[in-house]
This record gives sequence, structure tokens and C-alpha cells, in this order.
Amino acid sequence: MIAALGLPVRRRPMLAIGSALLLAFLLAALLAPWIAPFDPIAQDGSIRLHPPSLAHPFGTDNFGRDVLSRVIWGARIDLQIAVLGVLFPFLIGTAVGTLAGFFGGWIDALFMRLIDVILAFPFLVLMLSIIAILGPGLTSFYIAMALVGWVSYARLIRAQILVLKTQDFAVAAQSLGFSRTRIMFRHLLPNALAGSLVFVMSDAVLVLLNGAAISYLGLGVQPPLAEWGVMVAEGQAFITTAWWITLFPGLAIVTLAFGFSLLGDALGDLLGVKE
Amino acid sequence: MSLLAIRDLEIRFRDGAEERLLIDRVSLELKKGEILGLVGESGSGKSLLCRAVMGLLPSRKLSVTKGHVSLAGRDITRLPEREMLDIRGRRIGMIFQNPTSHLDPVMRIGDQIAEGLCRHRGLPRAAAREEAVTILRQVGFTDPPRQARMYAHEFSGGMRQRAMIAVALACDPDILIADEPTTALDVTIQAQILRQLAELRESRGLSIILITHDLGVVAQTCDRIAVMRDGRIVEEGEKRRLLAAPQHPYTQALIASHPSLPHEEAVGDPYQPHSRPLIEIDDLEVSFPAGGSPWARRRFKAVDGVSLRIGRGETVGIVGESGSGKSTLARTLLGLQPVTSGHVAFDGSVLTLERARTLARLRREAAMVFQDPFNALNPRLTVGETLAEVLRVQGKVPRAAIPARVNELLDMVGLDRGFAGRRPRSLSGGQCQRAGIARALAVDPTLIVADECVAALDVTIQAQIVELFRTLVAAQGLTLLFIAHDLAIVRSLCERVVVMQHGRVVEDGPSAEVFARPSHPYPAALIAAIPSIDPDQPLAAAMPDPRSQTQQEGLLT
Repeated sequence: MIAALGLPVRRRPMLAIGSALLLAFLLAALLAPWIAPFDPIAQDGSIRLHPPSLAHPFGTDNFGRDVLSRVIWGARIDLQIAVLGVLFPFLIGTAVGTLAGFFGGWIDALFMRLIDVILAFPFLVLMLSIIAILGPGLTSFYIAMALVGWVSYARLIRAQILVLKTQDFAVAAQSLGFSRTRIMFRHLLPNALAGSLVFVMSDAVLVLLNGAAISYLGLGVQPPLAEWGVMVAEGQAFITTAWWITLFPGLAIVTLAFGFSLLGDALGDLLGVKE
Repeated sequence: MSLLAIRDLEIRFRDGAEERLLIDRVSLELKKGEILGLVGESGSGKSLLCRAVMGLLPSRKLSVTKGHVSLAGRDITRLPEREMLDIRGRRIGMIFQNPTSHLDPVMRIGDQIAEGLCRHRGLPRAAAREEAVTILRQVGFTDPPRQARMYAHEFSGGMRQRAMIAVALACDPDILIADEPTTALDVTIQAQILRQLAELRESRGLSIILITHDLGVVAQTCDRIAVMRDGRIVEEGEKRRLLAAPQHPYTQALIASHPSLPHEEAVGDPYQPHSRPLIEIDDLEVSFPAGGSPWARRRFKAVDGVSLRIGRGETVGIVGESGSGKSTLARTLLGLQPVTSGHVAFDGSVLTLERARTLARLRREAAMVFQDPFNALNPRLTVGETLAEVLRVQGKVPRAAIPARVNELLDMVGLDRGFAGRRPRSLSGGQCQRAGIARALAVDPTLIVADECVAALDVTIQAQIVELFRTLVAAQGLTLLFIAHDLAIVRSLCERVVVMQHGRVVEDGPSAEVFARPSHPYPAALIAAIPSIDPDQPLAAAMPDPRSQTQQEGLLT
């Protein structure tokens, strides 16, 4: 099935496993209404804190909600966090890095100093203060990610562009009368992208953990919505008596993160060979 | 008895089910005090063969499957690594094409030599240091006690190569394997290194295997020549016999494509000053910041007061060694490098006065061909996409006619039309360079600037590309500015030669005249330093040049 997507998985176990894991989560998220056995937010006082059983394979939480259903529904939000939390920083960082690297001079100096300022603050502190200003919620989280996360992409792309723009093919493009936009986006950027595409994958892991952490702190996804970070936070109070509330969403986070990082490594090999 | 004997050696590459024969039953002998030239183009297996002798196969997927190598009668083919360590360096030393990457950048040259002396000859530290100084003097360092304390980056390319020879000689090996030792060097420096190798053979009775692609180099230094192709020795024999009467068609082709046929007439009609110059350069200066303190910035003048007129339809070779400013001159001419002072005009528009207008004209009427063919094409685009893009941007061909024009361009440079769908990575160097030339032709230019565009190619490919330029110039009435460090190629292609040194033009005239009677000592020295394919035309002593002398002493400016 994965091979059908056109990925060269033959003799590349990392690529195969990584994409299989991501695909599994993607399917779970898409098909949640049909495959989840119970309503993720329906409470039932009679079955509070039941351990894993046949009816509830992952057990129930303190409100009597089915943990398996909540983990499945949580995939929707957590995948969204991983994708959107990376997408905006990636787009902004790529644009900034390309412009700074290509034009150099004061544009470069301006952006690089801005990056220095952002990097001078601890990442999480900066995130938390932005979210605190905007008010808790996923939208604030995405805005905060976009404002803070782009710096690594900008640096990566800028370094690549700096090297690429002195290469003969860039000089050739210039000597053939190509416009600067064309040189930047058709000739330099596609060649600079490989490194940051790999980074996207490992960054998705970090963003996922960040999202979970922010939700855990109560600034991200709000209860009763099913999100793995929130579930871990809620289960914390019962960790000694009802470990399943915390364990299963925690495992889901770890597995998804593992999938992303396997895919990132495989992608690195794949693109690295081409370099 | 021969010192080194290779018998029926076979090396195979194995990866899963895939298997390829890389070295095919090669037999070779090297006698004591002999210099053997191993000639072949890239991919012929000459470097691999020598690595196999050293027991240094570059990958685990490679293995010696048959035959053996014996050193002074002892089979060393399958010796355990511990025993090979004593042979490497101690019995067989090796030097490489690129000394910079084979010398330790953070270790003083003297210490690198002394290290080998301690390890292999068991000398105490102090004695090893003294010995290192002696060896440095032997390989031509002028002030060894001082230079032994210097680092690799403080030396010029030629001196680094000497330093690497010194490191290899430190353990007093019987055999020196030199893998393209002069390919990266300028021609006058190359002559010095070759002479040095010949002297070492005399003074130490050293046996040398000299790997090269340049027949001129082997003709000047070797006793015997072995020609390799596709992992096989196609011909082997005494130098004079082999060069005078090559038996194998490949050897004949190699000799025929060597550009330095010494008595051949230079090409071209007698040079006549053209009435209306296409390019006019007046007192051009181009300089770069070269460090220094903020209040006393130093600048390095790459081009220093050059005036030049080039007429329509001329083919001009610009010749000079690395750092002579020839590439900077070309890039400035095309508006790719800012002018510091002076004037450049293209067909009447002065670049320095009407920059935008002149640039617009240059972009539509001039094109450049680059040195490294792989680097000069966007790796993500197919050849067809690259050509079509140029045609689209230039807008000289109606959109509908672009695919047909792409095919025409491929025909012009002798590439099969099927190459339109391929990416540079899947092409050979020569094919890539043809694609690069096709891209230049896509502009439909009046002027083509070729910057060292054959330097990275094998000799037979070089000859083909030069031939391609010759037909293109004749058929299209192009003006060609051909920049090269290889005088022989320039002589066979260009009707006029401009010789540059340290950013200045030192000689300018018709090829035939400059090559026959150079009026300036520098071009004379350059010409004399070309290793001729005729063994009886010895390498002339290179002229000591005051500025390169300081570089040799390690005082990089």
C-alpha cells in the first residue's frame, strides 16, 4: 500500500515503517467517527476509572469516557498540531531565508539580528508569553509557533542559498538575463530545500511534544476535547491507581513522534544520496 | 628482478546480486629506479589499481578476486592489515592530486614528516626533526628550517605538493606512487614538480609509478608507459617506442588528441586589427577587499590596468596561470563583477556609463560556458527544461517553436535528442559540457565567453569540445573569448592570444607569432613548460618569477 504511493520503500525499512506509522495515524484521524467505539466526550458515571477490558481495551477515565475512543479522536488534533505547527514556520522561514541569503546586505543583517533576538529568549518562555497575551487555544498556539519557529528554517535556508548563489549555475542564470525572482525561486530554492525538508520531519516531533506540553499546561487544547497532551495532564492525578489514562495517550505521542523521526531520517538518506 | 610485480590482478565490485569487473587481469612490472607512466582517462581504473597495490581499496564492496601483487618477491596481496601497515609508507609511499586534503591542516609540515620518521625508522624526536629539514631541502624548499615550522595553508599549491612528496619520502620508501600529482597545478609549477621527481629517482634510486591522464607528462618523465582503459592495460612498452609507433587504436587516439603537437602550425588567418571592435576595454581595474584593518583596508587587484580591443568574429584565447585575473576579466566583461575603475564597452554601449542598457544587451547577446560542467547546470532541471527556460526568457523564439529549437540546439552540440529528458547527474562530463554549450547557444549570442571550459575534461573529450567550438565559430560567425591555462589548446583553437600575468596583459598577438617568438619572458616560460609529447623536447627550465618566488617561500600575499 505504501509502495503504491510511489515511495521507494524497497530495501529501506526506515522509510517503510515511518510512513506506515504516519499513515496509520492519518487513517485513524480520518475515520475516527466510524472506528472509535464510543463518543469521546460522552460521560458515564457508572464506569469511572475502569481498567482495560474487552469492552474498553484502553480502560475508562475519571469521567467514565472511553480512553481508546479519545486516543483515536485525539489523532485528529495532534496531527493537525504537528502539520500546521510546522507549516507556517516553514513557509515564513523559507521566504525569509531565501531573501536574506540572496540579497545579503542590510536585509540579511536585519533578519539575522531579529533571529538573534528571538533566539536570545528560551523557546518555551517565548511561546508561553505569546499565548498568554493572545489567550489560550490552538489558534494562539499556531500563531506563537509561526512567530517563533521560523528562525531555524530561515537560518538553514539562508546558509544553503549563500553557498548556492556563488555556484556556476546561478552565475549562468544571471548571465542569461533571468530575473532575480526566477533565479531565487526556480534555481536556488529547489536546490536549497532538501535540508529543511528533512528538518521539517524532526521539527514535527518537537512541535507535537510542544503542543502536548502547552496543552498539558492548560494553554492549548481545552477540555473536554480529546487531545493526547490534555489526556496525559488529566490522568496525572490518577497515575498510581489508574495508569491507563496516562499511558495510552503517552504511547500515542511517542509512536507518532517515532514515525516522524524515522521518516525524517529516511528522507535525509534519500535526498542526501542525490546531493 | 622487478621490484613490484602485478600478475593477472582482478578486482570486482559486488553489491548484492550486482557484480562488475573493475580491473581485468592486469599485469605490470616495475623495476628498481624505473619511472612507469600509467595513463588513462577518468574511470579507466588506474587509481584503483594503485590503491589495490597499497591494500587500500576504497570500499568493502570491492575485492581482489584473482591474481597477486608481489613486492621484491614476496606476495603482499592478502597480507593482514598489521603487516600492510609496515609496507605502506615504509616500502611504498603515495602522493595525491590534491595535496591540501591529504596534508594535516593543523600540524606543522616538519612534524608531519618527523611523524613518519619516528614511526617507521624509529628515530628519536630531535633526530627526526633534523632529518625532516634535510628531506625538505631535497624536495626543493629554499629555507627548510623555517618552512618546517609552517602549516600547509601557508604554502602555495606547488609547495604543498612538494611537502606531500617530502612526507611520502620521509620513510625512505622503495616505490613512490604518484596519483595525478600535477593535474591541479599550473604548467610552470608542474614542470618543476616533474623535474623534482626525476631528480629523486637519480639521487635515491626511487622507483615511481606516475598516474596521469596527460601523455605529455609521461613523455617527459617516464621510462615506460602503460595505457589503461576500462580496467585493462591495452598497451604497454618503452616510452619512445610506444609514442612513436602505438599499436592499439585507443593509444593512437590518445596521442592524436594530445594538443601539444610541437611543430604543427598554429591555426587561423593572419591576425588583422578589426575595424569595429565588439569589445573595448580601457585601463580596466577590478579589485577585491583583502582584509587589513578597518582604517587601512587592503585591496587585491585581480585585474590591474588592462586595455583590450576584440573585433567581431575574432577567436581570442586568454591565457595565464591561476590568479592571473583572466576569469575576473571575463566576468567583469559580462557585467557579473563590478568595475573598480576604467571602462568596458560592448558593441558601443559603455557598461560603466549606461549600466542597465549595456547589461540588457549583454544578457541577450553574450553567453558564458563554465569550467565545471556539473556545477554549471541546475541539477534539478533536465537538459531540455534548462534550454527551454533560456529560450522562453530570451523570447527570441516564438513559444510554439521552442521544442523544435531545443532539438536543433542539441543537434548543434552533437547530443542525441533523447538527452533533453535527462538531468545533469546522469550525464558524463563531456555530455554535460555540451549541454552547457547548448545553453549558451540558446541565447543566439554574438559573443561566447568560455572560462576554462575544457580544464575538467579528459583529453579525448577535450579534443572533441575544442572541435565543437571550432565548427560553431566557423558556422555561426561567433566571437569567442576562450580562457584557458592550457596554451596548447588555445593555440589549436584561437587565432589570437592574450597572455595575462598578475592582472596585466603581458603579451597580445596572433597565435602563430606569440607561440613562435614570444616577446615577453613570461609567455616564453609558459610555452617552454608545456610538457611536449615528444620525449626529445625536454622541459625547459621555468623562469624564476619574483612574485611566485615569494609564494614558494610561503609568504602568501
